[in-house]
Amino acid sequence: MNFLQLFAHNLTQGPFTDPFPFQPAPTAKRFRGKIEFDPETCEGCRKCEKVCPAGAIRFTKTDKGLEFDCWHDSCVFCGNCEFHCPTNAIHQTQDWHLAHVQQDKYSMVAHGVIPSHECPSCGKPALFTAAPANKVKGFSEAEIAEFRALCPKCRGKYLRDRKSR
Amino acid sequence: MTDHTVACSYKIPVGPLHVALEEPMYFRVAVKGETIETVELNAGHVHRGVEYLATKRTLLQNMILTERICSLCSNSHPEALAMAAETIGAVEVPERAQYLRVIAGEVKRVASHLFNVGILAHLVGYEALFMHAMQVREVAQDLKEAVYGNRMDLGAHCLGGTRCDMDDEAITYMRSALDKLEPDVRELEKTYRTNGSILRRTRGIGILSHADAIACGVVGPVARASGIQYDVRTAAPYHVYDRLPVNVPVLDGCDVWSRAMIRLSEAVNSIEILRVCLDQLPEGPINDGGDPYIPPGQAIARTEAPRGELVYYLKTNDNPEPERLKWRVPSYPNWDALTFMLKEAKVADIAIIVNSIDPCISCTER
Ligand code: SF4
Ligand code: SF4
Repeated sequence: MNFLQLFAHNLTQGPFTDPFPFQPAPTAKRFRGKIEFDPETCEGCRKCEKVCPAGAIRFTKTDKGLEFDCWHDSCVFCGNCEFHCPTNAIHQTQDWHLAHVQQDKYSMVAHGVIPSHECPSCGKPALFTAAPANKVKGFSEAEIAEFRALCPKCRGKYLRDRKSR
Repeated sequence: MTDHTVACSYKIPVGPLHVALEEPMYFRVAVKGETIETVELNAGHVHRGVEYLATKRTLLQNMILTERICSLCSNSHPEALAMAAETIGAVEVPERAQYLRVIAGEVKRVASHLFNVGILAHLVGYEALFMHAMQVREVAQDLKEAVYGNRMDLGAHCLGGTRCDMDDEAITYMRSALDKLEPDVRELEKTYRTNGSILRRTRGIGILSHADAIACGVVGPVARASGIQYDVRTAAPYHVYDRLPVNVPVLDGCDVWSRAMIRLSEAVNSIEILRVCLDQLPEGPINDGGDPYIPPGQAIARTEAPRGELVYYLKTNDNPEPERLKWRVPSYPNWDALTFMLKEAKVADIAIIVNSIDPCISCTER
């Protein structure tokens, strides 16, 4: 290797380091970064909680409904939750800017609530979770909305009724 | 006279910090003048109890946990675990996934080998070459980030297949990265073959004779540099390695230089394998949901990690957590061979010799 040539090359083509933080650093499109959660599309199956090796994800039942928390400081960005999530309600973003001051360490959380409401059919409290895609195949928009509002028991009944129709 | 000999003989501690890499290993070396007489190896500084931890995690979680045992071989650990679980569950891995597994493994091999030879240049004191080798490696790092989303932990595997598919864009990116990488790696190989500074510090240093290599049971580039033609990819082909142009370079120099040369020619070969994989990549599914049923049973799986043969033993029962998960990492036998390599060596060569086995302490001690 001709090092003089290499030096000349590096002098004209370089530097090869990114000038971060003075300029944004390029980030790959597929970069596996900070977790984002969308309660709108979550089925509440809690698979992500089960497969998370770091124990970063916790679901808690409260008066408001099913609360989701993902602790960014515990997360190891493995993407297991995203891979096993049936609806892509949890997914990794390209964002890797997670540096924070010590005081903020307990607020580095992705939070979401799947609200609790009354089942319009039986009046019992139910979670407003997304309808599992495999159950509502071929449903119309209106049917999906109707189905979604029901409690698990009434959902079962709805499916049976629809089949016999 | 006797007093004089005693006064010349010292025991010096080497490590536990910063022997060659920033990983703790501790040697107690008895030296006479500048020459090493005996070496005692001390292990256990980074024992974290990962094997125990693995029995407290489900298989799906262990796919991630095992990836984090080691940084440079990170891909081979979940790969071997998945292979063991798939053997127990008789899970068929789709053909496309098998190719993708090979691709992930070979990309990691290129990056790992370039890192090791780069560090060699650094230890020799040739900083310009070190930085250039790391700059070349950066292409492989960018490739990993672009295709898998992370520079070290690819997360490529899942039970029964792979997690990450390659679309046309990723394939095009990989092809152009390989085109960029290949001439540079070949150039590096030429430099390591001919450069006086490298040759003076590495030839005839850290000798591990063929007989000693067999006695220690060394694996990977360390074995192949001592004339042992053994590579799991050809000895017991897994995935689709039997269809790929795997070349197993063997040298009989038995020294630090031969080990570096083996790594460089393997890196060139890996690039060739990657190209063939991209050409042959069949269409089809890449996994079946990634959560197959694994019945109670036990199995062993072997892969060729960048450092050599990696063996996984998995025993499952009715629980989702494995009853036992154990692995034999390549650095374990190679580490033992250091006692032979360091014998009669000069103190100044310790770091170079230690680096030549490409030790991975964190996965040996887990
Ligand atoms: S985010 Fe996905 S995996 Fe987690 S509970 Fe919701 S639907 Fe299930
Ligand atoms: S990326 Fe991995 S560690 Fe982070 S929340 Fe998802 S499963 Fe847990």
